[in-house]
Order: sequence, then C-alpha cells, then structure tokens
Amino acid sequence: MTSLIAGIDVGNATTEVAIAEISDFQRPPRFLGSSRVPTTGIKGTLSNIPGMALALRAAAEDAGITVGDLDLALLNEATPVIGDIAMETITETIITESTMIGHNPGSPGGMGIGVGKTIHIQNLVSVGRGEPVIVVVPKAYDFEVAASLIKRALEAGVNVQGGIIQADDGVLIANRLPKILPFVDEVGLIDHVPLNMLAAVEVGEHGQVIRQLCNPYGIATLFELTPQETQMVIPIAKALIGLRSAVVIRTPAGDVQTRRIPAGTLKLIGDTRTIVVEMDGGADAIMEGLIQAGRLEDVEGEPGTNVGGMVERVRQTMSDVTEKPLKAIKIRDILAVDCLVPQKVFGGLAQEFSMENAVGLAAMVNTDQLLMERLALALAQEIGVRVELGGVEANMAILGTLTTPGIDMPLAILDLGAGSTDAALMMKGQPVQSIHLAGAGNMVSLLIQRELDLPTGSNVDVAEQIKRFPLAKVESLFHIRNEDNSVRFFKEPLDPKLFGRVALVTKSGLVPIPTEHTIERIREVRREAKRRVFLRNSLRALRTIAPLGNIRNIEFVAIVGGSGQDFELSQMLMNKLAEFGTVVGTANIRGKLGPVNAVATGLVLSYCERQRGK
Amino acid sequence: MAQISETVVREVVKEILAQMANGTAVTPAAPAVSYTSGDAADMTMREVGQARPGTASDEVVIALAPAFGDKLKKRTITGIPHTAVLRELMAGIEEEGMKPRIIRVWHTSDVAFVGKRGAELSGSGIAVAIQSRGTTVIHQRDLFPLQNIELFPQAPVLTLETYRNIGRNAARYAKGDSPAPVPQISDQMARPKYQAIAAVFHIRETEFVDASKKPMDLEVRFN
Repeated sequence: MTSLIAGIDVGNATTEVAIAEISDFQRPPRFLGSSRVPTTGIKGTLSNIPGMALALRAAAEDAGITVGDLDLALLNEATPVIGDIAMETITETIITESTMIGHNPGSPGGMGIGVGKTIHIQNLVSVGRGEPVIVVVPKAYDFEVAASLIKRALEAGVNVQGGIIQADDGVLIANRLPKILPFVDEVGLIDHVPLNMLAAVEVGEHGQVIRQLCNPYGIATLFELTPQETQMVIPIAKALIGLRSAVVIRTPAGDVQTRRIPAGTLKLIGDTRTIVVEMDGGADAIMEGLIQAGRLEDVEGEPGTNVGGMVERVRQTMSDVTEKPLKAIKIRDILAVDCLVPQKVFGGLAQEFSMENAVGLAAMVNTDQLLMERLALALAQEIGVRVELGGVEANMAILGTLTTPGIDMPLAILDLGAGSTDAALMMKGQPVQSIHLAGAGNMVSLLIQRELDLPTGSNVDVAEQIKRFPLAKVESLFHIRNEDNSVRFFKEPLDPKLFGRVALVTKSGLVPIPTEHTIERIREVRREAKRRVFLRNSLRALRTIAPLGNIRNIEFVAIVGGSGQDFELSQMLMNKLAEFGTVVGTANIRGKLGPVNAVATGLVLSYCERQRGK
Repeated sequence: MAQISETVVREVVKEILAQMANGTAVTPAAPAVSYTSGDAADMTMREVGQARPGTASDEVVIALAPAFGDKLKKRTITGIPHTAVLRELMAGIEEEGMKPRIIRVWHTSDVAFVGKRGAELSGSGIAVAIQSRGTTVIHQRDLFPLQNIELFPQAPVLTLETYRNIGRNAARYAKGDSPAPVPQISDQMARPKYQAIAAVFHIRETEFVDASKKPMDLEVRFN
C-alpha cells in the first residue's frame, strides 16, 4: 500500500512543502514535488493557513497530484520562536543660534578657507577698505548681480573672504570673480544666518574634504579661542567631519551639542545572573552582558525610555498573536547591532544631516505547542486531510540536510532564515543539540534600509532587493560596470531609465535603485550589515552547540534556510570559519533544491523512520 | 438643486486651477532682481560655422530648435523670455562644473530629433534640446530618437527654476552621476488650455525648418 505524505514547514518568511510517496517503510521515500511560497501572517498563527494551503497546492501540482490525494500532512513543531526587530537612535545633534552650517551641497563654489564678519550683500558698499568679510547672498540676488557686486567690492579694496549663498549658485558666482574664494551654497534658511558675526567658510578641494573646520584646534586658530572655548567646539568639529564645505559662525551664545538621548537601560534576566546594561553603551556592551547573563529567561526595558518602548512593542505584538497575557511573554534571546543612521540636524539652516548612533534590536520569544496544535487542526479542516505534528524543527532540518550528496555525521547545520538564526549539532549516538537566536535576514534588511535612508512603505522593498542582488553601475547604454569592477557589454541598448544609475543585477534584468548613494557605499553597507547580523549570530550559535563550546570541535557545517541562498553570505561564512578549521558549505537538499526545503524534507523522512521503528 | 451647486463648484475649481496654473507659470518670468532676463531682446545669436562632433567630455550641448531665441516673439508658451530660459540652462550646466555648448538644429523642429542630433554632436554624449514653446528633453547619443533620459513634455508648467534644474541634471548625467529626475508639476488643465496655442507654436517653428541645412554652432551673447 502506498501513501502520499506532505511535510510542511512554516518559517518566518516562507512556507515550504515537500511531497513524497511511501510504499515501503524499509525503503527511502520517493519525493514527488516541493514548493516555496511567502508565509502569510506571523509564524505560528492562524493567518498562516492561506499560505500553507497555497504551498500545498503548488507542491501537489509539482507532484502531479491534488491536495485531496494526500494521506497525511506533517507540520513541524515550529521552533516555537517568533522574532521582531526595532531600532532607535541614541544620539542627536542640536544646533542653537545657528553657529554652524555643515552640509554637503552638490557643488560648492571655489576653494580654500576664508574668515571675516558676515555681511549682507546689500551692505557690501559700506564696508571699509581691507576689512575681512563673508558675504551673505539671498536667493533674490541673481548670480550675475551678486558676482558683479562682489567683484566691485573687491576692486574697491574690500577684503571679501568668501560667501554663504542661498541658491545653488556657488560655482556660478565663484567663476565670475577675479580670485578664487570659497562659497557654500544651498543654505535654505539664509535669513537665520546671524550678521556682523565672525565666521569662517571652508570649501575643500575637488574629491577632498575640509581640513580646518573639522579640527577643533583649526577652529581655535581661526577664531583665537581660549583652551576652555576650544573644548566647547568639539561637537561642531565632529559634526563637520567628512564634508566638502562648511561654515562656522562665532555667536556669543550659540552652541552645537551632540545630545545623548536617554535611551534607557536593558535588564537581561538570565539563569546565572541578572545584568543591567546601558543602551548607549552600544551593541557590544549589550552582547557582552548577554554572555554574562547565561541562558536568558526574560528581558525588560527601562520604562519611559526608547528601549522600554521597543521591548514593550515586541511583547505586545507577541501577546497579540499568541493570545497569551502580556506577562506570560518571555524574551528568550536578543541581538543588538550598532549602526549609523542619517538624522536631520535639529536647528540646522541648510537641511543638514548628521550620522547618529543607533542600536537595532532583534528579539525572540518562545511560544508554546498549543499554538501549533491549533494550527494543525485548522489546516486539517481547510484541506480535508489528516494533519499531524512532526518532530522538533532542528532535528528535522538535520535529517533533511543529510540528503545532501557527500554529507555525513557528525554534522552541524546553520539555518539562516528571515527571523531567526538556528543551529543544530548531530553526533553519532547523542541527542541533537540545537539553539535558536534572534536576528537574521529581516534584521539585515532593516539595517540596510536605515543606514542608506531608503524609502519605506513602498510596494517594493528596496532594502530587501539590495540585500539579495549584486550591484552594477550603468556607465553607458551599452555597458555596465559590476561591483567587482568588471565590465559587461550589451549588443542592444539598455532602457534609458537605467542611464547613469546604480542598478541591481537580477534574474529578470537590471533594476535601477532610487538612491544617490554610490555603488561602493551601498556595497559596504550591505556587506557590513550581513557581517554584523549573520556572522555574529553564526559564531554565537555555533559556540553554544559546539562540544566544550569550541567551534574547532565542529568539523562540518552545512548552511540551510532561505538566507543560505544569499549570493555572498556562504563565502563570508566560509572565510570566517576557516579560521577555526571548520568546513562550511551550502547544503543541497535532495541533491537539487539547494539550501531550502530541509525541514519539510526532514519531516517526511522522520515520519518514515518512526513508522519503520514500529 | 444639488446638481446645480455641483456644477457651480466645478466651475469655480476650474477657474481657480487655471489661475493657479497661470500664477506659477508667469511669476518666474519676471524675477525680482534680474537685469538680463526681463527683456526679451537682450541676447544676440551668431552662427559661427557648422557644428562638428565635440571632443571635450565636459561639454553638454544645448540644441535649439529652429525658432528658439531670435525669431518670433522670443518667448515660451507662458511668456518666459528665451533669453532667461537659455541663461538658466547654461547656469545649471556651469554650476556643475561642465561647459555648455549651444548649437542650432535646422533640419527638424521635433524636439526628440533635435535632442538626438545634439547628443550626437556633444562631447559628453548628453544634450538638452528645447523648442521655442519651451518643451525640453535631455537626450543621450546612444538612445533612439524617440527615447529620452528625461522628457519635459508640458511646456506650460516649466518655470525658470525647472530649466536651471534641467541644465544641472543634464550636466550630472554627463559626469556619470545618477541624479534624481527633475520634479515636474502635472497640470491637468495645461492640455485643454494650451493645446491649440502649442500647435500654433509648433507650426510656426516648423516654418523655419531648412531640411538641407546642417546644425550650426552658435555664439550667444547676453547683453
């Protein structure tokens, strides 16, 4: 008697199904079809049903049967973990009384550094000979007019040292003057620039950044500051690092502050100790605390602070989906990641942005088996097929992974998903060790989105796309330069929409990215995000399951899960784990599916094994 | 009764929209401070020989349709003087550190073909083409004539600021940057309101077409 069995694996991002035919439990099952569709709703909730039904239908079609032909559907005892992510900035820059303008207009004019009193262009005629001034030019002055006024003043002996311009006229004005002077342009709120104050304007050379104004002693030299006053300008200098042009104005009371937002503290309640860490200590401090705390039992954020809000939000979401009381939700793991996000400077005159520190947090809570039973029941009603709960996810994943050609025990797997990073270790004659950690693919997308300041809420998630595909710059309509600097030519001209753009090289062709970041910057952010989430988590996970806590004791690691398909991640992991003498490779489930479908396949195999035992 | 009031509302909205369209289009024509752009007659154009393909990669061609600048009323469809338009295009290119080069295309009045010809003659491969009514396109030499990098089909909504941005973007494409496309206002009323006059502009421009004449380099002097 033959029976048709389906294994269903509901993950955070995708639902995977494997369908097999079993005629004799002594022989391995014959796999007929498989499928992979996006998960509907949050993993482990009833809203998964439509996605599961869809996945079953797709797999049945692949196998050439209908869902009704199935004799049994197996559901993984979903690693009862659900993850959520959040991010908060922990510093912000505030300018009071407009003491500085530090923004990066696309085209500042001239070059060099100038120091003098700020003066409105209309008062230029009344300035005495030899007096050093910085001209302030509002938008109402056409560039020709402004240039000729400044030129006349220079001829009359006024010592014009540079200028601050409202319109995008910096180069135009600088080009029309007899000598090279620095001009900072595109200063939107020019009316707020204090007049008759000592100011310094600096424009760096092409392809370089300013040197003097981002150096506290440089500012001190220009303004003849005392050592006490020099201490006060440190935030100004810091805010101007890396810019091509800047203005610093010395006002009696003005100030720039890097304010640390009271980010709060995080209380890590572990089985060995309870640790309280300051959020503004950054991610490293939090992860350090996590190690000291031992196995986490719960996490609490300080009420009334950013982190308190973050943790409560996670708890609330989880409570909503699991229908458990808020108090019963325990956070079992967190992953903290540092990042720099562009934030608008408070009080700025030219829409300045400054890179502020932020901490991203991925958290994970345990759910209970009750939920999965409820899900199994609902699914059975939906498809009219008997549904059983299979085994523990990690064991299933290992069984599935063992179908990879050339693989054998002892074996460790790294399951890199969207919501969690899981690891499991199988040694001969020993029970499977497994661990689930917060933070995976979704966290990487969030980091990319925040660090590059990409638009959110659009139909296509740009950050998600950037994570998945390599980049290229469209240099002409007939050739592109890939991110490794190789050039590829095309016979047919490309779509003009792509001209000059940074694009993603996808299977369906080039897709332009709506951003002005350079290809190098996007690549750097993308790789750094993967490094900080996946590498960190992989090491953390492997250390936990490795015999004696030493990764060197693991010989083989196979990568499975959706993020295992990533085009660069397995190489990054291989590079890192080579240090430990460990062999890492991407699994190839059933010799053809790549790193996905491990759990679904494992479910069927384990069912077979159990029946054989009977 | 209800219907009457609805039509009344529609009428009022139409009128307001029309006024708004007028307002935005006409105001920039007379900038607060500008001694060059107020008068339409303060630009002289002189042909200085047949235009050859450029070799400087920092040059961006501004290709003028036959009637732009020194013929007819020398104003765009909304009355912006051609002098001011050309000046802003050139300023936008200069601000980005590139060099504008102005040529006149004689053999066609179609902005797409003017642009394609200009781009072929441009050292950087990028050209801005403009018709006397104000319709503008940013073209690239590898494109088919009817393709474009950025097209500004509704002349009535273009302001001097838009022209500055068009020049700036063209220069940035020439430098290999990837600028965000110039934002454009989409005015539903522009079409019904200007369609007829736009056609007249085009017909009159086409009267100056000389199919046998090659594109010429222009020397432009603002007085």
